[in-house]
Amino acid sequence: MTCSEVERVLPEMLDGAPGGGLNADFESHVRGCPGCSDLVSELKLISIEARQLAARDEPAPRVWVRIATELRAEGLIREPEPQSAPTRPMLVSTFSRWRWSAWWLAPVAAALLAAGSYVVSHTPAPQVAKQQAPATSVTATAAETPSASTPTQARQQMAPKSGTPRDMTATAVATAVEAAPSAEDQQFLSAVSTLVPSMRATYESELQAVNADIRESQAYLDRNPGDGEARQHLMDAYQQKALLYQIALDRIQ
Amino acid sequence: MTDPKQGITEAEAIEQAKQGHEAAFEALYHLHKRRVYSLCLRMVSNPVQAEDLAQEAFLQLFRKISTFRGESAFSTWLHRMTVNVVLMQLRKKGLPVVSLEETLEADDEAPRKEFGAKDLRLTGAIDRLQLQRAIDRLPPGYRTIFVLHDVEGFEHNEIAQMVGCSVGNSKSQLHKARLKLRGYLKFMRAEKAKTG
Ligand SMILES: [Zn+2]
Repeated sequence: MTCSEVERVLPEMLDGAPGGGLNADFESHVRGCPGCSDLVSELKLISIEARQLAARDEPAPRVWVRIATELRAEGLIREPEPQSAPTRPMLVSTFSRWRWSAWWLAPVAAALLAAGSYVVSHTPAPQVAKQQAPATSVTATAAETPSASTPTQARQQMAPKSGTPRDMTATAVATAVEAAPSAEDQQFLSAVSTLVPSMRATYESELQAVNADIRESQAYLDRNPGDGEARQHLMDAYQQKALLYQIALDRIQ
Repeated sequence: MTDPKQGITEAEAIEQAKQGHEAAFEALYHLHKRRVYSLCLRMVSNPVQAEDLAQEAFLQLFRKISTFRGESAFSTWLHRMTVNVVLMQLRKKGLPVVSLEETLEADDEAPRKEFGAKDLRLTGAIDRLQLQRAIDRLPPGYRTIFVLHDVEGFEHNEIAQMVGCSVGNSKSQLHKARLKLRGYLKFMRAEKAKTG
């Protein structure tokens, strides 16, 4: 089999080989030919990596709001009748019991939003004197970004963590936000599982997904500090996380 | 998609949605929103349009929920409905669902020569954002087939049926899409290596 014959049968071979003699010929050529071997392995890699894009993105909360509005207008969502109350799903009714214990969600959501915009608006100007609070107390401090330290202090504080001065701020903020979540997230999830066990798995997987997104975007941004689109993506991820907390909060009202 | 940890199963949510319970609709929405929205987003590469399409897919599904008997998987039903909503939209906008360039660009594809990046091999994991951008650059027809097959996991015969092309056509377009993506990704890596 020649290289051009390989290219011709490649579409068939990549998606489940037809079998028989062709298969063996194909395999033996590819094994001995660096060009074809690269081609085959790279196309397979693309196909495999594409899978990670399924179900990756989160729609904005307004999508559900619009759907619910429409369903109500069409009469598909009906207000529950009084006697049907006991059989109503616990999804909503238990959420109302949640209110008292969820007061801390609002500052967390605000902090996440603040941190997200901070990443975007401050990184391109490293000489700006504002400095994010250190990792431990996101809830209390990030919402009103303190302007305490000088650039020199900031640099000293962050020196062990980051590479170029340019992406220091972003990295520090991300670390601050990310170091805290495990504690906040744990608290959030245990509140959910106590009061609304039915929603725990949903919130947990949402949190995992958005945390992974933040980590991944940050890692990419560290490698490509000048990439504005990636920066935007990171901020979107922070916003998603803030919204997740916000949604839980809204449902309790 | 039934998760016993969640307390309410998908089947129960479906039954409660048939009775008009908002919370049940909402639970179903949250279970499937990522899958549906991501599919729309990959197909049209535009978040605003993707939101509209996701909304439309859910609405179509919820309007028919009383006919759902549970003999087929709910997620399969929704997934297919989403594809149909997106394809309908592409057709309405006059965008090719299947690439029209099929016959014209037989020699446009020189996989080994693209971007002169022969020596740059694609190894290790492909960065997700880069892959996403590369897919966004695909011509709509190629993108449709690639997203349906490699991202969403549909079989060629399913794609042929949904899109309205032959199985062979689906296979060859998928292959060309992958070749193009390989070219784009190599180009992106070469650019990045140059700029540092
Ligand atoms: Zn060869």
